Amino acid sequence: MKSFLQYLKVIWQIFRKDFQVEWRGKQGVPVMLVFSLLVVFLFNFALQLSPTLQASLTAGLLWVSLAFASTLGLNRSISLERESNALDGLLLVPVDRSAVFFGKALSNFTFTTLVALALLPVLSLFYQQNLFHLPLVLVIVLGVGAYTGLGTLLSALSIQSRTRDVLLPILLYPLALPILIAAVEASRGILAGQPLGDLKSWIFLLLAANILFSAAGLMFFETILEE
Amino acid sequence: MTMSTKSLDSAPQLVIRDLVKRYHFQPVLNQLSLTLTDGDFCILVGANGAGKTTLLRILATLVRPNQGEILLGGRSLTQSPALRREIGYIGHQPMFYNDLTALENLHHYARLYAYPHPAELVRDAVQSVGLTPHQHKPVRTFSRGMQQRLSIARALLHHPHYLFFDEPYTGLDTEAAQILDAQLQYLHQPGRIILLAAHQPGRLLRMASHIAWLQDGKISHHIPAASIPEVPALQAYLQEGA
Repeated sequence: MKSFLQYLKVIWQIFRKDFQVEWRGKQGVPVMLVFSLLVVFLFNFALQLSPTLQASLTAGLLWVSLAFASTLGLNRSISLERESNALDGLLLVPVDRSAVFFGKALSNFTFTTLVALALLPVLSLFYQQNLFHLPLVLVIVLGVGAYTGLGTLLSALSIQSRTRDVLLPILLYPLALPILIAAVEASRGILAGQPLGDLKSWIFLLLAANILFSAAGLMFFETILEE
Repeated sequence: MTMSTKSLDSAPQLVIRDLVKRYHFQPVLNQLSLTLTDGDFCILVGANGAGKTTLLRILATLVRPNQGEILLGGRSLTQSPALRREIGYIGHQPMFYNDLTALENLHHYARLYAYPHPAELVRDAVQSVGLTPHQHKPVRTFSRGMQQRLSIARALLHHPHYLFFDEPYTGLDTEAAQILDAQLQYLHQPGRIILLAAHQPGRLLRMASHIAWLQDGKISHHIPAASIPEVPALQAYLQEGA
């Protein structure tokens, strides 16, 4: 029990440290936010869609912006640990190393969710659609959780590579496709006013992806990081 | 200097048996064995690329060996993550977050090691390496010497019994090197084992109790520092590097 508490404390401390570094440097969330807003602006002005088409595209646009922004955040998260080899410092801590995975995944999840929440009013304004639905927030939480879980795992895989900035999106986007499809379909259904019962297969898929990537982090993170 | 050692169930002893590490099928360490006992301060020498860093990273559990066994105080290092509490490691890089201050970085590590009252511990650690006037500055503003001193404070924060240093003098100015000398002399005491890798050990030989020569992936000689003249090849190697 004592060691489990220590495990949880390590997760919390890694999250807290990431927040502290972000607060001090402001190099992660603001960049992610600006980038996702730019994607929204560019699509809005480039496509000049009719209101009917806009409504059907909102969910897709939300998730494309989030996926791109989150990948930037994941890259920033890796470079933070690469800088001065700080990751070694985390690996020296006397707890199971999956705690490092959960700590990093929790920070990545929180930063991307913050960006998503900031994006909702902007998308509502540009695409004239109310995005403030509780079920949509639930889908965002599940989708971002699965995406950042997978991203954290893959960022650990690419950390030793010289081409990690390019390697991460190349690995991440194809593997994250099922998550993005499920998230877009569930979001689109919610925005179209479909009952949640009709969307449960997509929501369960997102839930399963969260469980799967958490389990993968628990089992493989240490092996991935040890050279 | 306020750092102390905490009590240990048994006297520290490091046993490395038949360690093998290959990178891309090339053996870096090949059936390496070495035993260090309580109070040893051993300098690990060897040419560039001999595998000194690999050995220390394996001992710090940062790299997994292909074969072999490492025992700390009779317990297998690979079996128990909790044994990492006994290890202090200083590598080539300082392992800090550059945007955080010296105090914030050490607080982070103290919390990771679950100290109930980290403030006092961190304050003492910063003081012990003479960085109190700079404790509120971001690490990014520190010189190499100051970062190395802070690394020592980090590595000693949890009072480890096994200390592994990888070329700690690299990039240090004279003043920082003297501070490190003093710290090593202080740390060299019963209840602790120090293994320090150095390409050119120089004056360290006066402080160390033993020297181990890493050649062809093995420890070819492991002798008391006072016995170096008895091994002409080693003496010649050390003079060559000096």
